[in-house]
Amino acid sequence: MILQDRPNPIGELLIVLEYWDHILSGFLLTMWLYGWALLMGFFLGLILANLRQYGGWFLSRIASGYIEFMRGTPLLAQLFFIYFLPSSLNIPVGNWKIETSFTILNKDITIILLNYRTLAGLLTLGLNSAAYQAEYFRGSIMSVGTEQLMAAQSIGMSRIAGIRHIVLPQALRRVIPAWSNEAAYLPKYTVVVYFIGVKDLFSQAHLTVTLTFISVTTYVLIAIIFLVTITLISKGLDIIHKKTMIPGL
Amino acid sequence: MSDIPSLSEIIFYILRRGLYHTLLLTALGLLIGFILGISLALIRLYGAKELAWFSSGYEKLFRGIPLIVLIYVFAFGLPDIFWYIDPLELRLGGVVLALSLRSAAYQSQIFRGAILSVNPGQMEAARALGMKGSQAFRHVVMPQALRLAVPSWSNEYAVVIKDSSFASAIGIIELTQAAYFVSVSFQEIWALSYLILAILYFLFTYPITRIFGERQSKKLKKFGMGGG
Amino acid sequence: MQVLKGISFELGEGEVKVVFGPSGSGKSTLLRCINMLNPPDKGEVYLRGENITDPEVNINAMRARIGMVFQHFNLFAHLKAIDNVSIGLRRVRGFPKEEAREKALEVLQTVKMEKWADHYPAELSGGQQQRVGIARALAMDPDVILFDEPTSALDPELIGEVLQVMLDLAKAGTTMIVVTHEMGFAKAVASEMIFLGDGVIIESGTPEHFFISPKSERVKKFLQQLDILYGSHEKLLK
Repeated sequence: MILQDRPNPIGELLIVLEYWDHILSGFLLTMWLYGWALLMGFFLGLILANLRQYGGWFLSRIASGYIEFMRGTPLLAQLFFIYFLPSSLNIPVGNWKIETSFTILNKDITIILLNYRTLAGLLTLGLNSAAYQAEYFRGSIMSVGTEQLMAAQSIGMSRIAGIRHIVLPQALRRVIPAWSNEAAYLPKYTVVVYFIGVKDLFSQAHLTVTLTFISVTTYVLIAIIFLVTITLISKGLDIIHKKTMIPGL
Repeated sequence: MSDIPSLSEIIFYILRRGLYHTLLLTALGLLIGFILGISLALIRLYGAKELAWFSSGYEKLFRGIPLIVLIYVFAFGLPDIFWYIDPLELRLGGVVLALSLRSAAYQSQIFRGAILSVNPGQMEAARALGMKGSQAFRHVVMPQALRLAVPSWSNEYAVVIKDSSFASAIGIIELTQAAYFVSVSFQEIWALSYLILAILYFLFTYPITRIFGERQSKKLKKFGMGGG
Repeated sequence: MQVLKGISFELGEGEVKVVFGPSGSGKSTLLRCINMLNPPDKGEVYLRGENITDPEVNINAMRARIGMVFQHFNLFAHLKAIDNVSIGLRRVRGFPKEEAREKALEVLQTVKMEKWADHYPAELSGGQQQRVGIARALAMDPDVILFDEPTSALDPELIGEVLQVMLDLAKAGTTMIVVTHEMGFAKAVASEMIFLGDGVIIESGTPEHFFISPKSERVKKFLQQLDILYGSHEKLLK
């Protein structure tokens, strides 16, 4: 009896896919968040790793404290903290936004590229990813070994020049496999922004569920989209890694 | 709105409302993930080709889907299967399923890596003593692999306890949600409630990752375990 | 911990000084003190009259004038052989790219490695890597080159090619301090030999002195052991 009441999944999927414009705009926003978070995490992470490794007693303590803290607390808690920070300090966040819109197949799609919510989400994701990326960078810097820096200094390079021209180029190559892991899986962590009302892929799925009352099929569809995206990014990074490989590194 | 609560009142409130679910979800997620994960690792390493293929597919699948999506799939999917159980009671089961299936994928990787990093010479030496392959695995390889896995495994514990915060998405009150309640009820001390939350998570993760992560790594290095 | 105690010596233009002694006697530390990779707590090092232990002095500029060849080569793993040699010229001496490349190729020729210029270190044998290591030091036109056991990490069949390059350099008048146990090399080119034990100079003198009439019992025993271990290497030298 119960089983007969279940509509067939294909029929459900077709209904859900009628809302493809929602899903597309959510996907694009998710990728937009992903790109910036990855970039921000990369540069900040690189700075943190260098500070932790070469920053001297004080700066390296600060850097490792930051890294431990960000890795030790839930992303969700960090997001809430940053999101509520201005309003609890009575700083107005404003109603500004930057958006882009275009038309595909007679459907208008509008994406809010940046407003207060998106900014809070971006900052949280970038600051969080930086801590994880920093640990990968530090591991690879350590694996280059002190002998390389010593050899650089023996031909008259300053410590800074040795780090810049000898240690970092090698560390950045060695880090690629581990870093690819972080880079490929970061899209799935962007989902937290749903909790502060950013219209990312998951939020749009949620919206579609409230419009269609079809839940499991919708969420499975979203799961597949994430899976395919992450697999493609991972494969792409693998190809880049193989093409730029240097013997012995 | 009532008077601002004292520090100990906030801590007590967060712990009373949230700690039970956080620890329950973490323990169940890790335990089920452990049993499944170690089975997947063994299947992938020693199973028939098709089974190994399934195991690696499982890993890819559950590592690639965001946890919240998993939670929603199970929280809404379980009532479809177990229609005779109250859906609200199934929510907790959905989260446990999501946490443990995801963790199993990661734990499978951890144990596979650990088994592979036991020096192949250990197996040879055990076989040279006359042990059967299964004996050698059980008495020589596995005891070393489990020790080698401890640092990564303590890391996975930290991941699961943090991930359990996503249970709040479907209305389960755990530590993060409890702190969120405090922060919205008493705007003046919102930062304090998150600070307390951060310290609580820190107290639950740092000593464990420290003891089982770094100290164990050093100990293993001292005994010259791991590596080829 | 004090590794070196009261060591003092001078090195003239074009001289080759060979330092040897048991492991842990401070040979490597001595070299690392000379180019300040391991700055000494006390004492002074002078290069052509300039005190390089003076904190005021630009130590990087000084190191550019003191070449160093490492036991484990320490070639820059991400750079091809030619770039290993030219990077010092470009980044320290400020040579333009083309000029640095030309000069690096010339130096690679002197160590007979020009054919391998475009290979990465991991693609070279130990002996080839060490010859590139020597070229890297040589390219800077240093006043003196320090060799830290340059052949001790090499397989026996690769030692000859490296020793030959060092011998050629010595004969061409390069000023060198060489930590090595290759007594054949010492016999052939050393202007003075120093036996280091527990951080002090136990005995010093010409090769003739050491091989004919060493004074201390310790040196005699050590030389006998070296002869058993390394004696056969002498025939590697032409």
